[in-house]
Amino acid sequence: MSTTGLISDLPIGLKKTGSITPKRRSTRLPPWMVSWFQVGPLALILTVLFALPTTLFLIVSFYDYDRVGIYPAFMLDNYRELLTTPATWRVYASSLRFAFIVWAITLFLGFNIAYFLIFHIRSGVMRTVLFLLCAIPFWTSGIIRTIAWIPFLGRNGAFNQMLMGLGVTSHPLDFLLFSDFAVIITYVHLFTLLMVGPIANSLSKIDPALMEAARDAGASRWRTMTDIVIPLSKTGITLGSILVFTQVMGDYFVVRQMSGGQSASIVSMLSTEIQAMQYPPASANAMVLVIFVAILVGVMMKVVDVRKELVK
Amino acid sequence: MSERISDKRPWTFYALATLFGAYLLFLYGPMFVIYVLSFQGPNGGVTFPMVGTSVVWFQEVFQPGQMANIPVSFQRSLSLAAVVSVLTVVISVAAGLGFRRRFPGSGALFYLAVASLVMPSLLVGFGIGLGFQFLGWQPSLFTSALGAQLTWTLPFGLFAMFAVVNRFNRSWEEAATDLGASAWQRLRYVTIPILLPGIIGVAMGAFTLSYDEYARTTLTIGPKNTLPLEIYALISSATSPTLFAIGTLTTGVSFGAILVSLLLVLRMQRRRGRLDHDRLSVTQA
Amino acid sequence: MDNRFDVELASVTKRYGATLAVDAISLRIPRGTYCCLLGPSGCGKTTTLRMIAGHEAVTDGDILIHGENVSDLPPIKRGTAMMFQSYALFPHMSCLDNVAFSLKMRGVAKKERHARAREYLGLVHMADYADRLPAQLSGGQQQRIALARALINRPRVLLLDEPLSALDPFLRVKVREELKRLQRELGITFIHVTHSQDEAMALADLMVVMEDGHIRQSAPPRDVFERPVSPFIARFIGSHNVLTAAHGQIAVRADRCRLGAAGDGPHVNGQVIAVEYQGAMVRVAVKTEAGDEVSALVPDQMFYRKPAEPGDLATLVWSEQDTHALMDA
Repeated sequence: MSTTGLISDLPIGLKKTGSITPKRRSTRLPPWMVSWFQVGPLALILTVLFALPTTLFLIVSFYDYDRVGIYPAFMLDNYRELLTTPATWRVYASSLRFAFIVWAITLFLGFNIAYFLIFHIRSGVMRTVLFLLCAIPFWTSGIIRTIAWIPFLGRNGAFNQMLMGLGVTSHPLDFLLFSDFAVIITYVHLFTLLMVGPIANSLSKIDPALMEAARDAGASRWRTMTDIVIPLSKTGITLGSILVFTQVMGDYFVVRQMSGGQSASIVSMLSTEIQAMQYPPASANAMVLVIFVAILVGVMMKVVDVRKELVK
Repeated sequence: MSERISDKRPWTFYALATLFGAYLLFLYGPMFVIYVLSFQGPNGGVTFPMVGTSVVWFQEVFQPGQMANIPVSFQRSLSLAAVVSVLTVVISVAAGLGFRRRFPGSGALFYLAVASLVMPSLLVGFGIGLGFQFLGWQPSLFTSALGAQLTWTLPFGLFAMFAVVNRFNRSWEEAATDLGASAWQRLRYVTIPILLPGIIGVAMGAFTLSYDEYARTTLTIGPKNTLPLEIYALISSATSPTLFAIGTLTTGVSFGAILVSLLLVLRMQRRRGRLDHDRLSVTQA
Repeated sequence: MDNRFDVELASVTKRYGATLAVDAISLRIPRGTYCCLLGPSGCGKTTTLRMIAGHEAVTDGDILIHGENVSDLPPIKRGTAMMFQSYALFPHMSCLDNVAFSLKMRGVAKKERHARAREYLGLVHMADYADRLPAQLSGGQQQRIALARALINRPRVLLLDEPLSALDPFLRVKVREELKRLQRELGITFIHVTHSQDEAMALADLMVVMEDGHIRQSAPPRDVFERPVSPFIARFIGSHNVLTAAHGQIAVRADRCRLGAAGDGPHVNGQVIAVEYQGAMVRVAVKTEAGDEVSALVPDQMFYRKPAEPGDLATLVWSEQDTHALMDA
């Protein structure tokens, strides 16, 4: 065994602290450096492809422009125009309205489905199968799933035909398609899984013994739910809410397709400007949305320390 | 009033089960409509009623038409998805391992990942497209589009790895060290093999996310489309049951890919059992 | 190089930030000793074990194995092998591959390492399970595989981290015997961490009792049981009464106490608070006039000749030679 340089050449026996011990020579990297090597690529990609572009549109949002091109400048005109146009506020309000409604519905559905899967299904295999059943549609492109609703909800669509066939209505319901109803239904269809996943994850971490203890102390099923289950699933609910909100606010396609032109989305406004190569106002628009989303997410994350829960 | 304890299910079970069933119907209803309509007869339109049945629309898919070239864009989607998948696995597995400790900057990086996940897709695409323009570079499949998709798949991969790594018992790594494994040997023979089911999950997830991705890709891909973009072009130009045929086919592909990875993972899990760090209780030595 | 000792700790300290987990402990373990580190949770016994293993860095002090300073060496170079509390068998490898792992890391060819591994599987009577996966084994079987895996490197010191804690009582005794037998056969030092004093007394040649990062007493079990050094040790080891006497605190073994009449000898008056039947003995707990709680372990036949009940007045008597003076805690 080669231990040259490390062998203490003093009499073996009790040694006083700190007196003779040879200098610690460690050839291992300090742990924080190892971690940085491991997260390096991630950090690099996210910085270059995400943080930098965001800074880019921060900068460009202050630029001047005309029909020909864009010019570096520092003006607040783009923002002023954006924030003083009633159309902007209308679109934000409309998006927020959709977001809230969809959030409420997906929360209700998502929580109940997650609860059902975690607490009512006894067999692990069954639970996986049912969960997969929920997840499979998610693997089809959002575009396809959106347009799938068109033949379903249209005047000649399957749903109307079914209703008429069952005798519930005598003529096709018009409001089903190309309306707010259609938009909301589509959003719910697309995004409920985003609620089910995180909430199911949170619920599965609850020790079943807690619920038995509550029962033991006399809590009704309802009280157990409100006092124990829901508080302990706060993380999942927050995560799911963040995902649903940001997806709805950032949506581009669904509103365009399903509202029949009655509503616009923030992002579709943006894409119009981009197509017209009006980058400065598009950037300003983007910046406002970014800040808006950041505030929303920030508030939600204040409620729960997501990092502690996830990274543990 | 005493409630007799029994093994029968409470009424809430039936209520929730009904809700769940209704949800499944809701989920699959429109999808089935698409599957059915893709077999629409040659004279039929995009809505009911069905005018005979045929596979003519499936055939349309495979002919490169004037409006859309499906086979080519499908190939592009597949290759891009494969690359995204591999990169995502390597980068998020490494990052997931790195996050096991608290290191300076870990908080900032975590929130950066969350931000990247949460940011509306089109904005990200816009930012990257803008950046490329400023630099005078041409956006293309394996540069800008790849990058844009990574901003979406990497955070997902990272969070998936958090869940996987949390279940990983560090004693296995210590035992490997104790038995003389170097850092690389440990990674290769112990850490990665044990994490493999989770890694496959991340790979498959990233593949599907990339394959279906639309909003981030659209502004960063340049002139050549991936499949979702091609589909979108088709929608804007004309709607015909070809669209539905495509939908049925792509679902089939996604489904197939996920099924394969699932079977792999299940097989691995079953063989390895669920060895957590609380030991099995013993009745026989 | 002094080879009289297998393991020596010279003023070893472990600090985690501001917390002192192990405070300048020194210990010498002679060759081929079964040594138990015993103490309540948080006393530093597991930390000490892990420092000897090399899985925890030493903040200050030195660790010597066979006279060589190994404080900076990685685990594999120390001549130690560790058996983890959770066994840590690699779930994706067969038992054979688990046992052969360290040989594989050293580059030994497959045929040879598999042959060696089978040898060691035979040593622990698990030869038939070579191709099974850990998940298919019971806890006791997994432990034997973990043992084979640790022993294949012919370590000079085997380190065991609470190996018996997860086993049920019957199995614990059986496995205990096997461990002791194995240690005798192999002739190497075992260092075994436990919080159970029964286990430590049954197994150890050298019992090291720790508290709060310090070694309180390090001696053969008989010495510790008959002459505990401090009130903490007397209480921790069990079956001792700690009382305050004229010149300080004393300990008396509970089984040397009887219920009787106050005579000239040492005694203490009180009231019975509990009577516990333990099979061969009956434990009578008494609360003294001074408020101390003491107990007498009385052989069952003797007790049932004149049984006592909670609430009875009683006097605990013992003989002078069974009184043992304690150093202050």
